[in-house]
Amino acid sequence: MSNTLTADPSAPIKKNYLTGLKEAIFEEMEANPNMVCMGEDIGILGGAFGVTEGLQEKYGSQRVIDMPISEACIIGAAVGMALNGKTVLCEMQFIDFISCGFDQIVNMMATYHYRTAGEVSMPIVIRGPAGAYSGGALYHSQMNESWFLNSPGIKVVCPCTPSDAKGLMRAALRDPDPVLFYEIKNLYRLGKIEEEVGGADAIIPLGKARIARKGHDLTIATYGQNVYHCLDAAGVLSTEGIEVEVIDLRSLKPLDMATIQASVAKTNRFLAVNEAPMTCGFAGELVARVTDTCFEHLDAPPARLTRMDTPVPWAKALELHVLPSIEDIVREARRLVKY
Amino acid sequence: MASTVSSPKRGTDTGATQRPQDLLTKEDHLAVLQQLYLARYFDVRLIKEKRRGRLTGTLYSSHNQEAILVGSLYGLKSTDWISPIHRDMPAFFMKDMREGWDRPSRKGMSIEDLCGQVWCKATSPGRARDNWSHIGSREHHIIHSTSMLAGTIPVAAGVVYADRLNGGDAVVLTYNGEGSTAQGVFHEAINFAAVHKLPVVTIIENNFWAYGTPNHLEYSQEDFARRADGYGIPGTVADGQDVFDVYDKVMEAVEYARSGKGPSIVECKTYRAYGHGDHDDDRAARYRPTVDESVTYRQMLEMGRQRDPISVAKKRLVELGYLTAEDATRYAAEGKHATQTTDEDFPPEVVDYIKRGVDAATQAATPPAEEGAMWVFREGQP
Ligand SMILES: Cc1ncc(C[n+]2csc(CCOP(=O)(O)OP(=O)(O)O)c2C)c(N)n1
Ligand SMILES: [Mg+2]
Repeated sequence: MSNTLTADPSAPIKKNYLTGLKEAIFEEMEANPNMVCMGEDIGILGGAFGVTEGLQEKYGSQRVIDMPISEACIIGAAVGMALNGKTVLCEMQFIDFISCGFDQIVNMMATYHYRTAGEVSMPIVIRGPAGAYSGGALYHSQMNESWFLNSPGIKVVCPCTPSDAKGLMRAALRDPDPVLFYEIKNLYRLGKIEEEVGGADAIIPLGKARIARKGHDLTIATYGQNVYHCLDAAGVLSTEGIEVEVIDLRSLKPLDMATIQASVAKTNRFLAVNEAPMTCGFAGELVARVTDTCFEHLDAPPARLTRMDTPVPWAKALELHVLPSIEDIVREARRLVKY
Repeated sequence: MASTVSSPKRGTDTGATQRPQDLLTKEDHLAVLQQLYLARYFDVRLIKEKRRGRLTGTLYSSHNQEAILVGSLYGLKSTDWISPIHRDMPAFFMKDMREGWDRPSRKGMSIEDLCGQVWCKATSPGRARDNWSHIGSREHHIIHSTSMLAGTIPVAAGVVYADRLNGGDAVVLTYNGEGSTAQGVFHEAINFAAVHKLPVVTIIENNFWAYGTPNHLEYSQEDFARRADGYGIPGTVADGQDVFDVYDKVMEAVEYARSGKGPSIVECKTYRAYGHGDHDDDRAARYRPTVDESVTYRQMLEMGRQRDPISVAKKRLVELGYLTAEDATRYAAEGKHATQTTDEDFPPEVVDYIKRGVDAATQAATPPAEEGAMWVFREGQP
């Protein structure tokens, strides 16, 4: 919360991404007495990144639970609480550790509503810091959303602005279905994206994409920190006379196909960019859907730009080598426009 | 079979010898015996239906393990929760039977509902969306399991955590084969329950086999009760053939949990009557010390002709004078292979009760095909 001491009290207060999340969590805890938060080090410490700082002090250790290092138990217990009427927010200290709770997520939580023929909903949000480009190495850099997108019954959200972080978290915590909430840790305290995040009524429905930049030569669909890479690339391309439309998906499931289709109908070219590995990743899914539904609009084969099919290595040069870069995006965009 | 209480935290050594079963009336004792017959007959009926090709899916027989279910369920309140698994099919309709098992106003899941599930019908509480034991009911406080062994224990812990937040006093009983205790989540969940003193009673049905793997290849400690020490919680061993011993040990654990003292483990030692599931009955010989199936089945009975849970209970009732020696021989289900029993081996009201469920299920409709694509999310597929 870096902007609490602004010189001009009437000036709009800009807040960072982490503050957006934090406000959403505090406001929902206040509005919903049936909400419980669970995670490792989220209470006494306030979370490894400070997202839940002050939460336990305000709402007590019964509702803000410092959990043992047991991801499967965190998710499983959340399922039990949801079965007994609670709304639960679970923190994965890093989203990478979600693999330790995998069975409870895909088999227990995600299928509960289905298995019970709609008797039991699972209002659970699992949030955690995600993403590479930060020297986190193999186990603190992952974007593993496609594991869960391939598991029916889970919604997946990934905001990249402070106001989306807040508004989508509010919506996720009011959703009757389980939501995986990918927070981009590189954006938590990034000063240049600070903005007003809205008040207590700031709720952004899941499944609505945002046009981050308008253009007519190429549609790029992306999410997370890749949105900023694509915007930077679009700036470069604009100087060459190529106008790129950048769509920030915000939510991968539900997916706003209508916004993508309208854009492709206008630009006739499509590129999906994400930092997850290529094979069976979400970029491939986007390409498939655009191929299926926009074929007659396309003037070039729809393409994807992703991480190589590798883990995320540690040393900076290695890491950047396997991840999509601004230069990669520019090159790929030029290729598609010239095709 | 000796019972031990391994933790110093329980069994306050006051010299008091009164056991929970000593507070049971004659009617209770007779009801317990009745319920053993119900559980046995339900299983026998399913075995026969399955052999006639009338059922799909796999049946994991609860034969010879009924005392664990009946003894543990008998003392529960209807606000308590349970999470049965594959070998516990009778538990679904036997929860909340104490208030009068045949009364229509009874709170528990009906035999019609349960049979709807087994017969894959739309009358199933889960509308036949997942098989056999994977039903449940929020209304009846039965947790829905998945196939992943031990996976319901953290869910159970969460259920009672929430209940406690709501000011309730519910206890949850989780049922687990001894094989499932090797799962990581078993440890995670019991550790969490222990830290928060959650009212979670972990029942281990130790039937010596986990599918094709015997005890000595599953774990190295003699009693699971000792494992409880590692969590700082009490652990008890019950004679899984003796419904009243199970009742005692589970009731102690339940009262301990309800009073806020925390979770515990109750290991019930028993023996699996057949193969793992009906699909491997023909290989059941492998599960015995000899290769001749008829001999080995007899061996099991030898270990327990008097150790069949129904025989053990009858003996106790005769000792107490609640059953005459003549009454005790009226029905002779005990010590028989399921296929060798006839309806005459069971009290007629037990046969009628189960028949009601079977008849309702066979007449019920299957769910419409399009339901297969429904309920992934609350509001349709996004
Ligand atoms: C996690 C997991 N691994 C494997 C299986 C397959 N499986 C089903 S039952 C079973 C044996 C279970 O043994 P135990 O827990 O002792 O229960 P029992 O069948 O003896 O009652 C196995 C291996 C499973 N259901 N779940
Ligand atoms: Mg076993």
